[in-house]
Amino acid sequence: MMSYDSIFKKIFRQVICICMVLIVTGPILITLFASLKTKTDMAQVSPLLLPSLDRITLGNYKSVLHNKAIVTGFINTGIILVISLIFNVLLGTITAFVIERFQFKFKKIIVGLFFLGMLIPTFVTEIARFKIITSLHLYNTLGAPIIIYIAGDLMQLYIYRQFISRISVSIDESAILDGCSYFTLFGKIIFPLLAPATATVCIIKSIAIINDMYIPYLYMPKNKLRTITTFLMNYANAQQGSWEQLAAGIVLVMIPTIGLYIFFQKYILAGVVSGAVKE
Amino acid sequence: MISLKKQKSFFIAASLCLPVLLLLAFVMIPGLDLFRLSATDWDGLSSKSNFIGFANYAAMFKNADLWQSLKNNMVYFTVHLLMIPVELAFAVLLNQKFRGSHFYKTVVFMPYIINGVAISYAFSYFFSPINGAFDALLKVLGLGNFSRPWLSDAGIVNYVLSFVSLWRFSGYHVVLFMAALQSVPEEIYEAALIDGANSAQVFRYIQIPSIMLMVDFVLFDNIRGALQVFDIPFVMTSGGPGYASSTFTLYTIKTSFTFSRFGLAATMAVAIMFMIVLIYVIQNVIIHKLVLREHK
Repeated sequence: MMSYDSIFKKIFRQVICICMVLIVTGPILITLFASLKTKTDMAQVSPLLLPSLDRITLGNYKSVLHNKAIVTGFINTGIILVISLIFNVLLGTITAFVIERFQFKFKKIIVGLFFLGMLIPTFVTEIARFKIITSLHLYNTLGAPIIIYIAGDLMQLYIYRQFISRISVSIDESAILDGCSYFTLFGKIIFPLLAPATATVCIIKSIAIINDMYIPYLYMPKNKLRTITTFLMNYANAQQGSWEQLAAGIVLVMIPTIGLYIFFQKYILAGVVSGAVKE
Repeated sequence: MISLKKQKSFFIAASLCLPVLLLLAFVMIPGLDLFRLSATDWDGLSSKSNFIGFANYAAMFKNADLWQSLKNNMVYFTVHLLMIPVELAFAVLLNQKFRGSHFYKTVVFMPYIINGVAISYAFSYFFSPINGAFDALLKVLGLGNFSRPWLSDAGIVNYVLSFVSLWRFSGYHVVLFMAALQSVPEEIYEAALIDGANSAQVFRYIQIPSIMLMVDFVLFDNIRGALQVFDIPFVMTSGGPGYASSTFTLYTIKTSFTFSRFGLAATMAVAIMFMIVLIYVIQNVIIHKLVLREHK
């Protein structure tokens, strides 16, 4: 028989968790409600509630999607994402492999440089990076965010290094004895073995890139180069006070990463943890 | 064998040249360049700049708005610090298996992956003075009298923004703590329970020590995060009213990209780097002297 004590504990646990769920989902649900209201209902129905079912409207979504800029935003975000991911994976895997498996001159210096690179604070570096980007004529091109995402964020090295250190060295040795070149060893044997780590890296990076506001805002002020995030900023400034329209934009911009999270939760949690605990 | 050795060196050089080049060009050189820029009056556009020694450093220390911004960073830091025990408690709670625990785990981390700009606008709506949801909520609870202009009252705006920051990042810490708790081998718990330890004792003598390194990481992450708070105030208040909700990074970015004083901004960037390293060292000394000694 269950004791009162443990029943009390169970109820208490559920109450706490439900409060947490309300706090987390509340602001999102309220935004969702607003996006489904007409302008009159925004004033008349409590912001905490949906309007009556027959008054729910999709008009706000229609008017956001009518705006070509959001389509451009999704396309630009997609282009930046795909190119950055390809290079991040290729360079990340090969760098981690070389650092993890070989001894060579200047190895300590190179590893030290990568470590230092992670300590440099993100936002303020742009003051000096801005000059380099403009002198390479990358300002106001998709190249600016792409090259910064490829060069600037080094978390993939840690994930790949951890993963490679668990792959047995005897695989390398026997491949080389069998006459494999180092390039074949990496391309045909090691790279495919890293697939699970690659999945983690891709998903974590996708979320970071899709959500990033700062780099596109700073380097791509041109209208045609808006990403979904900078689109939303622009849209918000144009919608002064018309919250129901803005709410629809907010919901649409939230969807991609929430979708990724729902489908790839396991990878995301694993990647976030191993990206954090670097040593 | 010589050819194999050559092949190996070629492979290493070929693999590393591009990553190292990118690292140097886009991370290390800009990082170092900040120091050089901090001694100039560069405006961000002209090809020329004058060497002005430590004048920017003197100007930075006398800048009252910057000090105000740094004080605002302290609010974020304190609020997040006070939240760490709660985050730990949630990690211990969600580490157990019970009805709905998987769902709760999913929900607790969700804010971290949502678009920060989108969520900042969502909270601007939540706290808006006209038909805002928070005011409506207070009314339902019979606390309508407490309504105020949440985002334009200089006395509370930083706490409101810190709350948004908590909302976004607490789940991340919970997940990190959970991972640390799971790294404790099951047998240790079993042995402790057989020896008659209660759950408070398990928490105090097994769980806490084993997650001390993670607490260390979260503390440092908190400092780094608090010093670099940017997008939430940038989107929700752009630092206003006045500089009431400005932060150190926000002020630095404004100094460069809005007021074109890149030299002065570089000085502030150097200051942020310096603070991060300093606090990291202090914290390491404290953690290693106090905590690790206790558990040796």
